[in-house]
Amino acid sequence: MKGVSLVETQKTGRERKVSEVSRDQRDARQKGDGAPSGDGSTLGMKIQDLAAFYGSFKAVTDVSMDVQANKVTALIGPSGCGKSTFIRCLNRMHEVIPGARAEGHVMLGEQDIYAKSADPVNIRRRVGMVFQKPNPFSKSIYENVAWGARINGYRGDMDELVERSLKQAAIWEEVKDRLKESGHGLSGGQQQRLCIARTLAVEPEVILMDEPASALDPVSTQKIEDTMDQLKQSYTVVIVTHNMQQAARISDYTGFFYIENMGDPGQLWEFDETEKMFSNPERKETEDYVTGRFG
Amino acid sequence: MPRETFQQELDGLVSDVLDFGGEVKDSLENMVKAMEGRDAGAARQELGVDVRYKAWGMDIERECMILQARQAPVARDLRLLYTVQSVTNHLVRSGTLCEHICHAIVDTEGSERDEDLETALVEMARTARNVFNEGLDVFENRDIERARDLQAKDDKVDLLYSEAMNLIANPSEGGGGAPEWRMRAALMVHYLERISDHGVDIGGSAVFLVTGQRIEDAMQQYLDRNVDHDGG
Repeated sequence: MKGVSLVETQKTGRERKVSEVSRDQRDARQKGDGAPSGDGSTLGMKIQDLAAFYGSFKAVTDVSMDVQANKVTALIGPSGCGKSTFIRCLNRMHEVIPGARAEGHVMLGEQDIYAKSADPVNIRRRVGMVFQKPNPFSKSIYENVAWGARINGYRGDMDELVERSLKQAAIWEEVKDRLKESGHGLSGGQQQRLCIARTLAVEPEVILMDEPASALDPVSTQKIEDTMDQLKQSYTVVIVTHNMQQAARISDYTGFFYIENMGDPGQLWEFDETEKMFSNPERKETEDYVTGRFG
Repeated sequence: MPRETFQQELDGLVSDVLDFGGEVKDSLENMVKAMEGRDAGAARQELGVDVRYKAWGMDIERECMILQARQAPVARDLRLLYTVQSVTNHLVRSGTLCEHICHAIVDTEGSERDEDLETALVEMARTARNVFNEGLDVFENRDIERARDLQAKDDKVDLLYSEAMNLIANPSEGGGGAPEWRMRAALMVHYLERISDHGVDIGGSAVFLVTGQRIEDAMQQYLDRNVDHDGG
């Protein structure tokens, strides 16, 4: 009998290259074409062969992945492996740094956001971003939310939009009686949720979050996490986090970024459903990282 | 290495489980000797081990819970804690069954026995002990290649189970031994079959620990691959 041992079977699985795994995953996911999922009003993203540069230095290379609509995708990895650079490529924020550029394709639905015809300002409206440090404007709570919508030409009921955005960001009950007060008077956790509300007010399809809770206390962090769980009903969410437990708690998919050798660009080393990534990842480096053996 | 303390705690936990397994092995060895030599004295040595084994099992379970609470393990660390708890449960159960058998040997000391049935029982006890020992060895060495062979060895126990039950149901004319011994023999047959199953499960847990796959899924994958290879 031709036998393949359990050991060999396992080795075969572990030795599969990430490109093969990604290809299989792409094939397996029928909704992975960047099209709306059908159960929400938003779009997913499809990234193909993305590379990011700072001048001549290649910081990220060869990233291909599908960001599923109405799901939370977490990006994890050691410091300096290109997570934040990558996420900034998803709404063309990377290129605002002098000398920085990106190559490859990022599809938002049917639109390549790096096509010559694509308007970066419009892309950034459709793909909003929340940063590590809360950065409310020096304006009232109301104006923090209304301002972006107003300059984007919103002509609907602004009060309704502000209320809806603050409710979606799970902060309405805490600020509804002080809308005219300064956003800077809020706690750090409240400021971050205000920034989320500000992002939502321009009605994006995708929300990018770069370590949104890293500067917050546990209670505020929990509120942000609960908020994200609600947000994915209506938006596609991508989050960079150094908190592995946070990635495990809140995300549906997880991508592990890794630098194989010092000086090399960061790569998407493994990408899979979060459940798989935190229980039985395919690659040793991923397992070593999620179990805290390095990083 | 980061998480060095955590790794030491995990290593200590595994070491504790292996010590526990070693003691259950000794109990089974004593049980087999008692059956082979109709030695109630040897069997008496095992009376009371159940309480100690249960307490030991609870200690290991408590340690696993504390590590889960403190260290939030994932991936292989989480699989290890899950496996340790599972193996510990099998050890406690095996120890309990061993004590039940030893009780039966003590209680039926001097009772008339059916020689054919006794021979089958002793053979079953030796085989069950061997499967259990091998299961522990597979777990200790994480030797997943040998894990699937355990199932075949357990099949021999199942065969002896059928043979013994047949002898209990159809005693030879003029033989059959004392009724109380026959009744206890029926229970011992069942206990030995369970001990062997625990051994198989302990070995199978090594497959989950290493690969993240259940032994049943790994076996099916193995069989499917062979069908594919043979067919094509």
